[in-house]
Amino acid sequence: MAITEPQLRRPATVGGSSTAGGLPGAGGHPQARILTDRCAGCQECVVRCPTGALSMDPVLWVAQADNTACVGCRQCMRTCPFSAITVDGPCLVERRAATLDGHSAIVLGAVAETRQGFSSLEEALAEAARCLHCPDPTCVRGCPAHNDIPGFVAALRRGDLAGAHEVLRATTVMPDVCARVCNQAAQCEGACTWSLAGGEPVSIGRLERFVADNAPVPPPAATREGGGPGSGLRVAVVGSGPAGAGAAWVLVESGARVTVYEKDTTPGGLCDWGIPDFTLPVRVAQRPWDQLVRAGVDLRCGTGVDAAQLDELLEAYDAVVLAHGAGEPLRLAVPGSNLEGVIDATTFLKGAKAALRPGGEVGGFLSSLGLPSQAAAPDGAGRTGVADAGPRVLVLGAGNTAMDVARTARRLGCRAVCVDWMDERYALVRPDEVAEARAEGVEVRFLRTVSTLEGDGSRVRVARLARTEQRQAGQRPKVLSGPPEEVEVDLVVMAMGYRLDAAFAQRLPGTPVRRTDAGVPDRHWLASGVLATPPAGKAAVGTLSLGREVALEAAMFPFRPRVWVAGDALTGPSTVVEAMAQGRRAAFAVLDARPRRPAAVHPRSDGTGKSAGEPGGDGRHAEQPLRALVCYESAGGRTARVAAELADRLRSEGMEATSLPLVKVTAEDLAATDLLVVGAWTEGMVVARVHPARAAVAWLQKLPRLAGKSAAVFCTYSVAPRGTLAEMTKLLEAKGANVLAAEAFGGHGSPGSAATASVHAFAGRLAEARGSLAYA
Amino acid sequence: MSLTTEGPAATDEAGDRQPQGGEEQPARAACSARPRPSAMGAVPVRLGRPTSDGMTRRFASSDPSPGLDLARRPVLARLMRDRRFQFLLVLPNQIVFWTVIFVGLLGTAVPGLNFGTAITWYVWFCLVFVMMVVVGRAWCSMCPFGGFAEWVQRRALFRRTQKALGLGLKFPEPLARLGFLIPVGSFVLLTWIEEFFNIAGPGNPADTSFMVIGIVLSALVFFLVFERRTFCRYVCPLTTLIGTVGSMGSVAGFRTRDREICLACTTKDCMRGSENGYGCPWYTWPGSADSNLYCGLCTECFKSCPEGNIGLFLQKPLTSVVAPARRRADVAWGVALLWGLVLYQQFNATNVFNTIDTKLNSVLGFPHYPDPVDYLGLIVAGALTLAGAAFVVGRLFGTGAVPARAGKASFIDRTTPFRSFFVPMAYGLIPVVGADYFARQLPKFFHTSPRVLPAAAHIFGFASTRTALYSTSLLGNNGIVVTQVIVIAVGTLAALWSMWRVAGRDLVPVSRSAAGVRLASLAFVAACGAGAAILYVLMHAAN
Repeated sequence: MAITEPQLRRPATVGGSSTAGGLPGAGGHPQARILTDRCAGCQECVVRCPTGALSMDPVLWVAQADNTACVGCRQCMRTCPFSAITVDGPCLVERRAATLDGHSAIVLGAVAETRQGFSSLEEALAEAARCLHCPDPTCVRGCPAHNDIPGFVAALRRGDLAGAHEVLRATTVMPDVCARVCNQAAQCEGACTWSLAGGEPVSIGRLERFVADNAPVPPPAATREGGGPGSGLRVAVVGSGPAGAGAAWVLVESGARVTVYEKDTTPGGLCDWGIPDFTLPVRVAQRPWDQLVRAGVDLRCGTGVDAAQLDELLEAYDAVVLAHGAGEPLRLAVPGSNLEGVIDATTFLKGAKAALRPGGEVGGFLSSLGLPSQAAAPDGAGRTGVADAGPRVLVLGAGNTAMDVARTARRLGCRAVCVDWMDERYALVRPDEVAEARAEGVEVRFLRTVSTLEGDGSRVRVARLARTEQRQAGQRPKVLSGPPEEVEVDLVVMAMGYRLDAAFAQRLPGTPVRRTDAGVPDRHWLASGVLATPPAGKAAVGTLSLGREVALEAAMFPFRPRVWVAGDALTGPSTVVEAMAQGRRAAFAVLDARPRRPAAVHPRSDGTGKSAGEPGGDGRHAEQPLRALVCYESAGGRTARVAAELADRLRSEGMEATSLPLVKVTAEDLAATDLLVVGAWTEGMVVARVHPARAAVAWLQKLPRLAGKSAAVFCTYSVAPRGTLAEMTKLLEAKGANVLAAEAFGGHGSPGSAATASVHAFAGRLAEARGSLAYA
Repeated sequence: MSLTTEGPAATDEAGDRQPQGGEEQPARAACSARPRPSAMGAVPVRLGRPTSDGMTRRFASSDPSPGLDLARRPVLARLMRDRRFQFLLVLPNQIVFWTVIFVGLLGTAVPGLNFGTAITWYVWFCLVFVMMVVVGRAWCSMCPFGGFAEWVQRRALFRRTQKALGLGLKFPEPLARLGFLIPVGSFVLLTWIEEFFNIAGPGNPADTSFMVIGIVLSALVFFLVFERRTFCRYVCPLTTLIGTVGSMGSVAGFRTRDREICLACTTKDCMRGSENGYGCPWYTWPGSADSNLYCGLCTECFKSCPEGNIGLFLQKPLTSVVAPARRRADVAWGVALLWGLVLYQQFNATNVFNTIDTKLNSVLGFPHYPDPVDYLGLIVAGALTLAGAAFVVGRLFGTGAVPARAGKASFIDRTTPFRSFFVPMAYGLIPVVGADYFARQLPKFFHTSPRVLPAAAHIFGFASTRTALYSTSLLGNNGIVVTQVIVIAVGTLAALWSMWRVAGRDLVPVSRSAAGVRLASLAFVAACGAGAAILYVLMHAAN
């Protein structure tokens, strides 16, 4: 345990009234009870208990609880594999300090931040003291970037703000942005152990904001001259949104030369134009880019890259990270949708943002939209609350973008109505956003959809709304028949969301990546208890988080050789933090793969007599040993022995080789390997229905894109391998791998036998094939 | 767009300029320490250290010898790694028992010629018993009742699926705390039903079908309501018998090969399941199993362990009776009640019993044998006799000291002066109880087991009651009695050995006189064995 002060290990307040959560039997002290019949003494609860309340009975070899130390966080309950422990009673956690998000009436033209952070260190420390510093922190799994939350909170508790920021910086490049725009309830705070126990989570977002706003933020530590791991690499990053920023930061810190192409005139992407200043002030949104440019990133604003130019980029750069986002607004095709006065959210938000900033022309913006220009004075005297009069703006959609549009419209002096055809219970909007919007006078109407828009001549004037019905989450709402409701409108803003740019999506088959995982949940996630069904009324944060992991892993694998994709471009519309995390992941994958563009690989007659970096196959530096991963599915142990032997042999051929059973191979292992060797035993009825072991087939089918990665297959057999190797080869090639060799090993090999000799020969062939592999 | 002009030109130049001479050395050095994405994306886990204090001593007596690991044999390992392994074990039994159901309902009403009756009551129970004594829960690994329900629950015959069918509830904790008491109750109930309807008697073959259907259905209901093999562990009528008598068996079950690896494992795939296998359906962890009591031999842990750290171990006979460091009260009461039940089954073949039963029925107005009052009364009396004997031994020799430990509130692990004698002594008696159940089946087996062949043939229209095999008896009544007495004698000898070991480890430390308590406990075993043997002589091979 990293924390020693007992008062920190255990929140102080005990008592029914001040404890959080409507748990059964709230009040009194938590009681952990062990069902000794079923407790197998595996100590999963013991090693995860944050307070050390659990220990082992040496005779029965079952867990025993010291209830005086128990705080009722129920991690033991969630992590016990046999559900042999129950905890009753309240969560002994102090209530959060009262929320500061009280909304006063908004002011015309005001863009002050609506959400506030902690105002003093004392407040922050009081909140930090509620953190249990869980040994297997579920909040970290809930955080899409996997920030070390207990780590930074512990540093904060020591009063070490710089240290806390350093902890955050290890996994995020924009804690200040994320702290403001993240939906913590569906991420870290939703996965906080208190939250999973039905209590009130630690205000992680606000603590992060306190650290990010109050600690000095050093610029990226560029190591270009010093020669970091990326030194010598030229990488193009397309897009300067959060994914681009994440990738550029990691790359520039590693010493790579980074060029960022941004089609807008200012960097930041969605953070710049998509999030209003009252949520994300411009100084915060621009901070990463100011620092990145200072660190040497070549930022080329106003330079869009379209899909057709990808090949040009690949000629000029060693690697390309596509982080161009999902910027194509969805449009509702209803009669009248092409009338004047029907615009999309991007246009509205971009224009309003410029208009509301100092020096902006609110009146001019409004009249450009065909609205009467209001007497909105951004920083003049005579500020008034927004009256319930003014132009009527109908926002189609009630998602987060729609809320931003409507709230901005309120600040421009308009009346705003949002309509969405989903049921509020299942809507994808943040509940707190809806509440804030409503507090600001936005009318949000769910279960409605626009059936027609009508105008007088060319200008939209009336919207007809139909009622809809949605019976369960995820179901497509049904439009009900009935007399339409008429709403008079002056402006219609379509804010139903975005999708991928079609031209890019076509060139990157497989995007958008779906963030659901149908397979067996990752073992470590399962063990942490984050996937446990939360108390009623809470989102299944663990499942959501595990889905996010799918996209994070997808960002590590190039879509084509030397092309990585991250952010909304990879997943479709998603969140800032996910995009940032994927950008970082993609950048690390670039650094790991160290690809080389053809121009840099082939020696040039420039008189030095030396080619750039002396590349080996794939343009890799020749001095870098190739990394081989020999993974196997073994039943009787023979395949495992062959794999170990092969790895051993590949090592003596100068590679970094490891052998792992299939179940232990992680996406990181796969992404980092240069040569993937897959081995399986041969399953079947002697000679009939012979095929690779089922588990191996399933594993191969679930592989990510391998985009030209070198691979090899082998199998072990007793009678005849028949089509085993061909099937494995086919499966690997279907994933885009370049299968160099295939070999079947028969007989019961023991060291020194003929089988060993054939393993050695196979290794030799592999090393030769991989070594002589020309750049593909 | 400036890509075609300044972009590539600039990059090419830089590409040529950049890696030069000595400047590159540090870059290369750094390359070998490349950042790994895994290091960046990993969740910082700061798990506490699992304790292994006293672990070696705790498991020393029950850990099997590494040399007896059957899973080291590649052929067997490959078989067990195959997901179809258990399916192929269950399938033949599944076929047999669906045949039993259909033939019982639709076939001949002559019990001896009906395959359903013949296979179930003449052969099956004896085979199950032999498997128990040799292997342990071998039957559980191939049981068609749980097997069928498990297929439904998993929505698969053998594949590893993720979504279970049914509610997946946990068995209510107050009931789970009773351990083997509920299954003993269901065994007593089932036996009573069987006696009342004279199902095994042999009565109407359709009754056998109804009984099998009842078991299949109740298993199905439990599998659909609760998670894993809750039915098998907490409800199944046979589980106490197979568990306790099976602990005489020579298969230790699936155990860890290296306990340190298990302790260091932070994912416990054997309990939670992995891609290749389900989490243990029996709620057993190979890392802490100290007997084969709850190992259903289903091979799931073997399949799911990513470390290959699980073996299938053999052990010396009776090891799981004498070795476990943890003695469970539910096992002890289970053995005592099973003892009561088998005594009842012996006693009910005597004339004295008939008189009592008839008299009770006429008083209570109960239609016919067996009267529930004398049925339950005798079972409880049998169990209490055991408990009483242990109480007396405790009073005579006990120091009254009670070892302090966890689980104080739990029925299974609570310690009292009485329990510190009763529980170990019940364990020591297991071989006698087992032998008694076996001996009780012998008359039926010897007299009627050959009927299985004509009964099987009868399904296809061959054979009749006139077929020679129908009336062939493998052994005469005198021979049967002698065999029964021999079986009891062997069981008693085994129990004497077990009790000697159990007494030495568990009774002597809480007794004032080591020799006295040993002698008393051995006398107790001998008395039980002698009592059973005498009853068999009195029964004279009655069914």
